[in-house]
Amino acid sequence: MSHGTRNTDRTIAVEGLARVEGEGSLRAVVRDGVVEEVELEIFEPPRFFEALLRGRDYLEPPDITARVCGICPVAYQMSSCAAIEDACGVTVTSEIAALRHLLYCGEWIQSHALHVYLLHAPDFLGCEDAVELAERDRPAVERGLALKRIGNLIMETVGGRAVHPVNVRVGGFYRAPSREQIAALAGPVRVARDLALATVEWVAGFDFPDVEGEYLFVALHDPVRYAIDSGRVRSSAGVDTDAAGFRAAIVEEQVARTTALQSRLFGRDAYLTGPLARYALNRDQLGPLASGAAHAAGLGDVCHNPFRSIVVRSVELVEACDQALGVIEMYEPPSPASVDVPPRAGTGTGATEAPRGVLLHSYEIGVDGLITSAQIVPPTSQNQLSIEADLRRVVQSGLDLPDDELARRCEQAVRNHDPCISCAAHFLDVEVVRA
Amino acid sequence: MISPACSVVVAGIGSEYRRDDGAGVAVARALAASSSAICDVGPLGEPLDLLGRWDRATLAIVVDAVRSADAPGTVRVIELDAATPDERAPVRRVARGTSSTHGIGLAGVLRLARAVGSAPGRVIVVGVTGASFGAGVGLSPAVERAVPAAAALVLELVEGAG
Repeated sequence: MSHGTRNTDRTIAVEGLARVEGEGSLRAVVRDGVVEEVELEIFEPPRFFEALLRGRDYLEPPDITARVCGICPVAYQMSSCAAIEDACGVTVTSEIAALRHLLYCGEWIQSHALHVYLLHAPDFLGCEDAVELAERDRPAVERGLALKRIGNLIMETVGGRAVHPVNVRVGGFYRAPSREQIAALAGPVRVARDLALATVEWVAGFDFPDVEGEYLFVALHDPVRYAIDSGRVRSSAGVDTDAAGFRAAIVEEQVARTTALQSRLFGRDAYLTGPLARYALNRDQLGPLASGAAHAAGLGDVCHNPFRSIVVRSVELVEACDQALGVIEMYEPPSPASVDVPPRAGTGTGATEAPRGVLLHSYEIGVDGLITSAQIVPPTSQNQLSIEADLRRVVQSGLDLPDDELARRCEQAVRNHDPCISCAAHFLDVEVVRA
Repeated sequence: MISPACSVVVAGIGSEYRRDDGAGVAVARALAASSSAICDVGPLGEPLDLLGRWDRATLAIVVDAVRSADAPGTVRVIELDAATPDERAPVRRVARGTSSTHGIGLAGVLRLARAVGSAPGRVIVVGVTGASFGAGVGLSPAVERAVPAAAALVLELVEGAG
């Protein structure tokens, strides 16, 4: 890495983005004190899973796509189920939908706890990593790990096991948990909700760089609650469409510097999905506890500071616990545990809110019930252009910083969005250069 | 991962969709099939999944694919202790070269577990040298052949601990 000052040409290279799923690289070139280019390279293997799905039975995608991401398998299962059921013209019962919702809350809790405590918080506290954070503030890390465990417990109870749940099938579940099994979750989830409230209070006290972005937000909108597992797609520019309409509006493009595809809305606009987008579009639907926590944490109607996404994510932890408790208290075991989904030739599309943003699946099924084409659009590829825009602002506003500090802030800016690059690629490396 | 009575935890780590990276998962599955006393809780995609699952075990045996100069299918046993070379390296560096760790590799997860007082008493890694880690399913022949031997070795370690 070179050293330079504000008025020199310099290239800042970060050769390894830590605490981000996968590996890629980041390169920023500064000339005459102006950021000339910022490139987040993501090394994406061919869309292996899309290819793998072609020719497979229409009931297989939930099991296969769950293996795309170790952190958010439920998101992949739920989006694939939604897409296939859409293709086959089937709607599940409200009891099945509720159980899916509970499973998804479990994934939000474990994934958000992981990101907030182990990947993101160390940045704000001057710690090299979560281990150093644990050495300095053990109760905080224990709180995070306890939250993660309770999220896993929900996934284990509903999904059959915590890692890559096996109880999910197209049409519902293989077996419905008993009333007693679900009721036993209430105590731990109440504990989790208290831990989540403490999390909001904790992160609200961090120091945040004064950087704001102008984002085009995209998120699902559910008429009855803060959307997690269902809803229409809305944007802050007034788009309101279903999953198929959203799919038609996304243009994925290949650019030379990265093997990952990048998404633009209507082939034109960079956009952002994830916590900031959900909060901007759905904050009025937060429950009283999450809403109160957001207010106390100083979040306004919209949060444009990507570094504050850790606060929004923590508010969502409260909301996910609250929504989970709502399902637990009203639980009726679905009987039967799944509805029949006979194959039907056609195309189906489904979208849900993965912890990191909208996850879209689309499948074309042939008359023989085999998949003829599959499309998976993960949050990371949708957010990539907005992350690059963030990086441009971060580098421009931090030109007075020494290279190593600026590089660290760039890494932090990428982590703001918690990109799951193994969803869109594997292995991430970062580079920043002052020419 | 399998967890017999939780005093000894055996964890197979890896992805079956990255060829030989699935070696650890294959060994865990073979073990689970060999005894009804062993419960398979699913393939661990990353070391972070060990947190909460190996807490305070007497012994944790982690089976994973490794890259090494050995011939593919070679099985080696490594005990992680305070002298483990990466022990004090920052987690972000430990993470380099792992395939899907969300930034924290096995040594980092062990350090984290020790920092919060939940680490197992001993951690033994059973490494199976892989040949191919590209996208795809199926182990290469040498690694496939090594799976029963690695499983037998794990059982010996478990019995030795008892």
